[in-house]
Amino acid sequence: MTLQHYLVISAILFTLGIFAVLTRRNAISILMGIELILNSCNLNFAAFSRFMTPPEDISGQIIAIFGIVLAAAEAAVFLAIILAIYREFGSIRPDEVDTLKG
Amino acid sequence: MIVPLISLILLCPLAAFAIFGLLGLANRRFPRQDYLSTVAMLVALVCSFLLLREVVPTPEPHTVNWISLGGVTFSMGFYLDSVTVIMLIVVTLVSSLVHIFSMGYMHGDPRYPRFFAYLSLFSFSMLFLVVSDNLLGIYIGWELVGLCSYLLIGFWFEKDSAANACKKAFLTTRVGDVGMFIGMMMLFTKFDTLALYGEGGIFAQAAAQLSTADMVWLSIAGVLIFCGAIGKSAQMPLHTWLPDAMEGPTPVSALIHAATMVAAGVYLTARMFPILTETSSLVIAYVGGITALVAATIAIVRFDIKRVLAYSTISQLGYMMLAIGAGSYVAGLFHLTTHAFFKALLFLGSGSVIHAFHAMHAHGHDDEHAHAHSQDSHQPSAISSQQESGTSPDTSLLTTESRQPTAIPEIPPDQDMRNMGGLRHKMPITFVTMLIATLSISGVPFIFSGFWSKDAILGGVLGRAMEWNSVHHYILFIMALSAAGITAFYMFRLIFMTFFGEPRNQEMHDMAHESPKSMTVPLLILAALSLPVVNILWFNETYVKPPPQPHLHAPQHAYVSPDSNTGGKGYTVSLFGVSEAAAAEENGGHDTHGAHGDDGHHGHGPAHMIAMVLSICVAGLGIFFSWLFYHRRTLSAESVATTFRPVYNLFWHKYYFDEFYDGVLVALTVWKARLFAQFDGSVVDGIVNGVGVVTRDILAAFVGLFDNHVVDGLVNRVAQVTWAVGGRIRRIQTGAIQTYLFVVLAGIVLLILIFRAL
Amino acid sequence: MEFTLKNFIFYGFALMTVGSALLVVTVRNIVHAAFSLMVTLFGVAGLYVFLQADFLAATQVIVYVGGILVLILFGVMMTSGRLEMRIHIERGQLLLGGIVSLALLMLLLTVIANTPAWKNLTDDGTELPPTTERIGELILNGPFLLPFEVVSVLLLVALIGAALISRKEVRD
Repeated sequence: MTLQHYLVISAILFTLGIFAVLTRRNAISILMGIELILNSCNLNFAAFSRFMTPPEDISGQIIAIFGIVLAAAEAAVFLAIILAIYREFGSIRPDEVDTLKG
Repeated sequence: MIVPLISLILLCPLAAFAIFGLLGLANRRFPRQDYLSTVAMLVALVCSFLLLREVVPTPEPHTVNWISLGGVTFSMGFYLDSVTVIMLIVVTLVSSLVHIFSMGYMHGDPRYPRFFAYLSLFSFSMLFLVVSDNLLGIYIGWELVGLCSYLLIGFWFEKDSAANACKKAFLTTRVGDVGMFIGMMMLFTKFDTLALYGEGGIFAQAAAQLSTADMVWLSIAGVLIFCGAIGKSAQMPLHTWLPDAMEGPTPVSALIHAATMVAAGVYLTARMFPILTETSSLVIAYVGGITALVAATIAIVRFDIKRVLAYSTISQLGYMMLAIGAGSYVAGLFHLTTHAFFKALLFLGSGSVIHAFHAMHAHGHDDEHAHAHSQDSHQPSAISSQQESGTSPDTSLLTTESRQPTAIPEIPPDQDMRNMGGLRHKMPITFVTMLIATLSISGVPFIFSGFWSKDAILGGVLGRAMEWNSVHHYILFIMALSAAGITAFYMFRLIFMTFFGEPRNQEMHDMAHESPKSMTVPLLILAALSLPVVNILWFNETYVKPPPQPHLHAPQHAYVSPDSNTGGKGYTVSLFGVSEAAAAEENGGHDTHGAHGDDGHHGHGPAHMIAMVLSICVAGLGIFFSWLFYHRRTLSAESVATTFRPVYNLFWHKYYFDEFYDGVLVALTVWKARLFAQFDGSVVDGIVNGVGVVTRDILAAFVGLFDNHVVDGLVNRVAQVTWAVGGRIRRIQTGAIQTYLFVVLAGIVLLILIFRAL
Repeated sequence: MEFTLKNFIFYGFALMTVGSALLVVTVRNIVHAAFSLMVTLFGVAGLYVFLQADFLAATQVIVYVGGILVLILFGVMMTSGRLEMRIHIERGQLLLGGIVSLALLMLLLTVIANTPAWKNLTDDGTELPPTTERIGELILNGPFLLPFEVVSVLLLVALIGAALISRKEVRD
């Protein structure tokens, strides 16, 4: 189990997340993609912390924890917005919500 | 002491009004405005009495400089002579009593506090006018009085008739005021001052400088100033506002007619006495004489109790003017005071009667008492509709062709004498006091003040006639004498119709009642004052002296009675020991300018005796006929009216003055307005429209073309280009986040690939 | 690379993570996708364990699985109204997205493979002491105190904001 194992897994997760964000037409699916991306980042942090720094230095893990907290905050706001949009437009498809579009 | 006392007299009513006004600005009210105003008036009354002791034989004005304009300084100040102080007492006394009376009469009116504030302002204005030593101050007070009368006549402005009446009063008096102002300006250009008294005053300058060549000019100025008095004192031909002013509350009528507004005109004329010339005196005398006679005849046929009194007032004011015009200065002012008291009494008495009849209208809803005041006049009840349109006993035969709605205003049922009768048992105090006033105004001898003052006038006029051997003054004397008889007749007609006989309207009669104390007490006081107690003031030789008239010259053919200087002092001597003749004599002693026989007070002896006898006879005749017509009913008013139908019509239509004004003056004004409107419509509008057309069709067309093609073209072209470019570019902006993200990522990938390849 | 139980479990977790992540992005039913995501998150938590980040792993499970995922499921149910909500996908978009994603993946893999500093860093398998105590020290009594407080406030603000946004508007 080398660093590159983790990096590859992380890269795959990241790419899948990007793929979901790019292709899905549903806000919640996009949120899931974003969560995948965040997870891949956290995994990177943890992995780099494990392999690139001395064992007693666990700053990377703490950053990852902050990342999780941010993800939680993001998810909460995201879903609140989705609910509000749904209540207003009756849909959560991003391409249907285009009031600002000229 | 003079200045502080006068200041106090002026400031008290003004403060009462100012408190109301200032609190009114803050949307608050003094809780007892009525007490405040009344107490202020009583303080002024006490001060006026204190001033009695302060009068000196040759008073000096107390002045301060007010404003300086281009080298001319206008001063403001007080002048206190015996006439001033007597006027002060009359005004404050009548005003106080009216205040007290109003507490009962106006009780419950929604604008009750405001009424008292107006009364205070009214009193202040009149007092200011009285004490002013210069024409400017008099003019200011004069206009303030006009304003207050406007406010008070239109106090119940919900009524159209009241609103119209106050406008009419204001505008009609304004006609005279214009003349007065021109007269003032004539004096001002000549003398460079408006002060009347003192060294540089108008009177002193006029006496010193003017020659006989200036007499025409001075006559014109005098007549013009008298025009103001014509308007204010309701003389012919500007008298029409005064009967309409009856639309105001009755206490206001009393105040206007007795002490303030109309008295102002007489007072002004009296103040101008020293500069009156022969001509202007004669004009004044004739205006007064004609007014006295004409108004008296109109009063005969009126049925509205207040209007009878209104015409009576006009008539009595005519007397005063006649007296002053005929040189009987003291007699005129004497009549002004006696008239103030008995006319105030008559009005307040009629107010008491009306108030009693109001009770019926207000019955059952006392809280709407005041509404009854303002409403009953334009809500003709069954009684009034039956009584109206000339179905009265007197006019039943005349109605069809003679009645015109514009000329004969509707009579409110509670003021219609045809609804009254037999009230003497119901309202004994009102009856007795009004009877005293009536006896006084009718000139019943010896124990009533009106007799003395009226007789002084008649005697003065006859004296002047005999002295000058002047046809004019004989005519004037006959006019005055007839007016005296007619006055007695119509005043007793009023008394008989109101208080004697059988009740004509049983329903109203049953409801009638004596008025409350606040109303009867002023009546009693005024009744006491209608007895000759006030005469004491006037027959004190040191007190009232007629000022010299240096510009009045007796005509060449004047006949000076040989016994004029020796023939006793007239009847007054026997009663009071003094006479105005004596005062005039003393006056004449130091009058160096007066020509021989210039003051008309000599020769009163036989004239007064003749006048007295004649006036007693005439008054007796008037009362006797009145008794025959309206009490005994031996003679029928209807048949007489039918016999002298044209004359009756003339009286009934008030000599067609209103019709004349409506038909000629108003029509002329309307015609003129139409003409101007036509001029405006064709010429002015034509020019304006022409300019407009030129601008629109030629100038604007060019500008429009330029705008449309050049300016708009430029703007549109820019917009089109922007539009087209924007239309292309906006395709890129899909608004889809995913597209953006896709582009971003693709870009990143490409960039990294490029950099790696490099 | 010997085939040990540890390795086996690691590859199992790796496969689970990648495979479920693949399902998350491909499955048409959004509820299924959400549950796949749960599996992915568990997998990542397992990987954390392999990295000897015990506290992080626990946090991952508690916060992600217990919190965020439940939130997502609530969101799904409240917006779709039924459990089987089809995800609409356009073919053109799918193609383009696939190409870009693949390119990105290739790029990343190239970078990973060619970065010299990252090569030959092997996990020697030594046991490290539990991290919880040290993390607590670092966060509450060390250099991360300020970021921690900032993040706390951020979280609070986010929660209040979320509650405010999502609540039904009360028109007065």
